[in-house]
Amino acid sequence: MRTVYRIVAGLVAVEVVVQAMAIVLAVAGEGKWIEDGGVLDKAVVESQETVFPEVIGYAVHGINGTTVIPLTALILLVVSFFAKTAGAVKWAGLVLLLVVVQALLGIFSHIVPLLGALHGLNALLLFLAAIRAARLGRDQVVSPVADPGARLTAQP
Amino acid sequence: MRWNRQVDGRLTLAFAIMATAVVLGPLVWFWHASLLPSAYSVMGTGYAETTGAHGGHGGSATGGRAVTSLIADPGRRADVAVTLTARRQRFRLPSGRLVDGYTLNGRSPGPAIHATAGQLVQVRLVNASVPEGITLHWHGVDVPNAEDGVAGVTQDAVGVGEEFTYRFVADRPGTFWYHSHQMSDEQVRDGLLGALVVTPATRAAGEVDVTALVHLYDGVRTIDGREGDVRVEAQPGERARVRIVNTENGPMPAWVTGAPFRLVAVDGTDLNGPTDVRDAAVLVTAGGRADIEVTMPEDGSPVRVQLGGSSAVVLGSRSYDAPAAGRPAATLDLLSYGVRAPVGFDPDRPDRRFDYAIGRRPGFLDGRPGLWWTVNGHMYPDTPMFVVSEGDVVRMRISNHSGEVHPMHLHGHHALVLSRDGVPARGSPWWVDSLNVGDGESYEIAFVADNPGIWMDHCHNLPHAAEGLVAHLVYEGVTTPFSMGGPARNTPE
Repeated sequence: MRTVYRIVAGLVAVEVVVQAMAIVLAVAGEGKWIEDGGVLDKAVVESQETVFPEVIGYAVHGINGTTVIPLTALILLVVSFFAKTAGAVKWAGLVLLLVVVQALLGIFSHIVPLLGALHGLNALLLFLAAIRAARLGRDQVVSPVADPGARLTAQP
Repeated sequence: MRWNRQVDGRLTLAFAIMATAVVLGPLVWFWHASLLPSAYSVMGTGYAETTGAHGGHGGSATGGRAVTSLIADPGRRADVAVTLTARRQRFRLPSGRLVDGYTLNGRSPGPAIHATAGQLVQVRLVNASVPEGITLHWHGVDVPNAEDGVAGVTQDAVGVGEEFTYRFVADRPGTFWYHSHQMSDEQVRDGLLGALVVTPATRAAGEVDVTALVHLYDGVRTIDGREGDVRVEAQPGERARVRIVNTENGPMPAWVTGAPFRLVAVDGTDLNGPTDVRDAAVLVTAGGRADIEVTMPEDGSPVRVQLGGSSAVVLGSRSYDAPAAGRPAATLDLLSYGVRAPVGFDPDRPDRRFDYAIGRRPGFLDGRPGLWWTVNGHMYPDTPMFVVSEGDVVRMRISNHSGEVHPMHLHGHHALVLSRDGVPARGSPWWVDSLNVGDGESYEIAFVADNPGIWMDHCHNLPHAAEGLVAHLVYEGVTTPFSMGGPARNTPE
């Protein structure tokens, strides 16, 4: 279960990276499309059509952010109950909390755009928390080996 | 020692399982509770709202009418008879673009239907090859309920090889449109739509009359299937009426350069005393219509009626060289446009008062997790049924705190806008069937319940309707034999 915990926590971190890449891809594609003469308005936004190929980035960001990542964070919390690792529940709880905050910031940034800036900041906090959680198991596997000789032999 | 460790281990495991149950239990329960049955009646879902009923007009005395009995005079002969055959196919737009979608009589948009006010229109709809089934809804025409074309509420979806005949009196002149109300999100987007224009019995001579049905195919805006500037001939001094139909899912601004314009009608109802407008745009909500009238300049210069960013109707004679100009910052406010006039009923003495508060919250919709729309705090299918009696004066407050704009469309009725955010309407009577309710806005509207039946009252951003932003207006004693799902696979949204 410790390994599962580390993998799921790592997945959250990877998903944060995917989110950052997807949204910039979409914004860049949109900018190029407008440069090339495309006209963007509410009807086009609502049309759900692929007017430029990079629009897939918005879809990926939306589905990941509202469904896949919250689900992954929830699985991490459940796994943490079985992980028998000190701090596992705490870090999984923090990851889930940051995911909830992240989703809310993303949604409400459509009403208060300034929240979008916090959405970007919180993404980094979530990434760090997920990485910390992923390293949690590993640290513990190493730390019980309290044999100073092991350290010495590891040195050249 | 070892025994202790075993007990400890078991306790830890039991604790972990309990914690899991506490976290996942409610989620599984909410998920399961949200699943919709394979067939259900709109009468059996949601909850009835009867606020402000004073015993009503008639009430149970009219009991037990099925929607199928609410039809136009069957003995009357049709004045306008049209057959529309629907197909799923690849087709070419007038602009030359190839589109994978749906056609009516081999084309999309479907043929424009023209009638004179008072005529009986009869449309035979044949489904040649649309696998999911189709219907036609007469958007903005207050048809008898059986002709409303809502799959699962007023009829079954028309399957491949089947047909259905719609009959209604086009009682008021104006600009309307028709579209499928079976899987409407997909079928409207991909082409099952067309214009319906009802002209007055006596028409003004020397007037250019253009219908500009605006629709996006594959994300590209078209006017009657044509892209970019659409040229229409209008001689100097001539009056031109441009009937704008927004078939899209978002509001569209329209603005005019080269001459002042008058907004002469909204949603198929003439405005009273419209005045010249310069430097303001008209916002045409999704599903809504706006008729713009221009008097062509005597010097023969062209006039551009811009419809959104990328397309325009250019009126001209000698030249069509009308330069594009950006959208004016101001938007025409219909609360104070035109001149007051009697409205034919007293909205200040309503028999019913309803709230239609639109919100949004996380939850499950038919098992799908997400952030879904709510009506009065309830998610689909637990949305309200607004119950009325025939003859009631109904007042409704539509408010929006959902973060997005919603074009609210009430079937079978036209409603009078009374106020927005507490500011009363002071201009021409402003009758709507499709109302643009922005985020944070609230409107008071009123209408007379004079068309018995079961009527959808939903968001015409059709993906939103598919996401559950749907309620119903239900007349006491009217029932429907049709159901959602079932063998006809009725899915109106």
